[in-house]
Amino acid sequence: MAHVSRRQVFAERTAVLIITVIFLLPVAWLITTAYKPSNQIFSIPPRLDFVPTLDQFRGVLAYFDVFSLVRSSVIISIGTVVLSLLLGVPAGYALARSKSRYASFFAYFFLAIRMVPAIASLIPFYLMMRDIGLLGTWWAVIIINTMLNCAFVTWMMFSYFRALPRDMEEAAMTDGCTQIGAFWKVAVPAARSGIIACVLFCVMFSWNDFLYPMFLTTLDSKPISVALLTAYGTKDITWGSLGALAHFSTIPIVLMALFLNRYFVQGATNGVQ
Amino acid sequence: MSQPSVPVATAPAGPGLARPSTRRTFSDQRRLFMFLMGAPAVLYVLAVGVWPLAQGAWYSLFNYNLLKPKRTQFVGLDNYIEIFADRSARQAIINTFQFTAASVSIQLVLGFLLALLLWRDGRFNRIALAFLLIPATITPLVVGLIYKALLGADYGLVGYFLAQAGIGPRTGLLSDASTSLGVLIFIDVWEWTPLMALILLAGLKSLPTDVLEASRADGATAWQRFSMVIMPLMLPSIFLALVLRTMDAFRVFDSVFVTTGGGPNDATNTLMVLAVKEGLQFFNVGYASAIGNITIIFIAIIASVLLLVVRGADVRINGK
Repeated sequence: MAHVSRRQVFAERTAVLIITVIFLLPVAWLITTAYKPSNQIFSIPPRLDFVPTLDQFRGVLAYFDVFSLVRSSVIISIGTVVLSLLLGVPAGYALARSKSRYASFFAYFFLAIRMVPAIASLIPFYLMMRDIGLLGTWWAVIIINTMLNCAFVTWMMFSYFRALPRDMEEAAMTDGCTQIGAFWKVAVPAARSGIIACVLFCVMFSWNDFLYPMFLTTLDSKPISVALLTAYGTKDITWGSLGALAHFSTIPIVLMALFLNRYFVQGATNGVQ
Repeated sequence: MSQPSVPVATAPAGPGLARPSTRRTFSDQRRLFMFLMGAPAVLYVLAVGVWPLAQGAWYSLFNYNLLKPKRTQFVGLDNYIEIFADRSARQAIINTFQFTAASVSIQLVLGFLLALLLWRDGRFNRIALAFLLIPATITPLVVGLIYKALLGADYGLVGYFLAQAGIGPRTGLLSDASTSLGVLIFIDVWEWTPLMALILLAGLKSLPTDVLEASRADGATAWQRFSMVIMPLMLPSIFLALVLRTMDAFRVFDSVFVTTGGGPNDATNTLMVLAVKEGLQFFNVGYASAIGNITIIFIAIIASVLLLVVRGADVRINGK
């Protein structure tokens, strides 16, 4: 597409810009409520001019143990990422390199696990955690998150490793490298971008999910997503403080996704090319 | 088969004997290695994923309530029959199908248009896409809260102006049975259209450029190029995007739970919301498990139908 007029490019870019702004307006609104004085958030008629204030943040920090909430989210995310990668990356490699005719059956088995609605396994899982005494701990959430995410990682890494040529690993093994060596020193570095995409998607899942932690954690172990949900019903909580609280939940994940955008694109479109 | 290959394969008898045997052990080792690499993940998913599912299937045959565990009785398929007999559950099934069909098809059309608009490669479009994906990155919970706040008739920013202009119900779009499902579809479209565009854009970018150039050189109009060149080549990407988004939309929970909780009067109840309410609020484990299993069956059927439809379309358009 070499010959396009400048005017057309300009028109296209204007359209893209307008669409982007439309998509971002609701998010921008929520973020700005956090800087409005309480009496102006829902002033009627709504006004767009206001003097920015940090009152909402002060209120939120006084009302919530934000540090503990964020810490729970971080621990759950890290635990899920580490376990999912430890289980999923080797499994994806095995499925991609195995000559067994069961390999593709297992690959689709992992894909199918992702399609199962959370609720179908949540109740029996809840009872299971109650019986072994993990209910209310971060472990309960990490264990079930890891189940879904390791299935996702396996499928994703299966398609990444399958696209890699075998020659390098075979050459390394002819040179006396062990099989684990060939996997760890040759295949894993070559599939680095796939692994980063997996980390991003696992973090996004565990950071954003609230269904599992809502039922599996307690007051002390709940993450920020659950706090947002419970905060909504509370009398003392205004939309302004919700906006402030939402900062802690959305900003880290949005920054991460923007920063790792290349891997987001790769991960989301995996299987197309 | 060809003659010479047979003696070659069986020939090494004396000195070459060691070779095939080491090879045999290597391939055995290789198989063992692959098994050890793959087994932990398979076992983990079986223990934490499949085993609870099997338990759920078992529970669904009992009138098992956590609050009255002593009264548990085997009821056979009664829980499943109740889903189709109960008005509120039937409504949830209809809502889930309506929601999925409407939101996914709108996303597909808008996403395709957006992908075509972003097709031209360049820094501007890449940055725009990165920002467009923000709705898909933030917590669905926050998405729900945003729209709940914006659309409230009494104090919401949009809700207030709509009410002033006399558009929509007085109680607000989310709290009126005639509009609430539509709003939820809108929210889903807002949240996921950019992701749909991203998947389709990846498909567009992998199209063979020589075919596109040739059709342009042959003087095909834009519409001809779209319908006769781009569309047939895009079918695999469209299928992938459709399957992914349909599966997700069918399991919709977060945005509904936060904004309407299934109300007003079951108008926005979906299968997942119903199952969570039954199972984790009323502790009707048997009934909730049955709803979960019905959802799995529906998803499996939809996936197979989509696959067949796309195969059929592929045969009709590409003739293979």
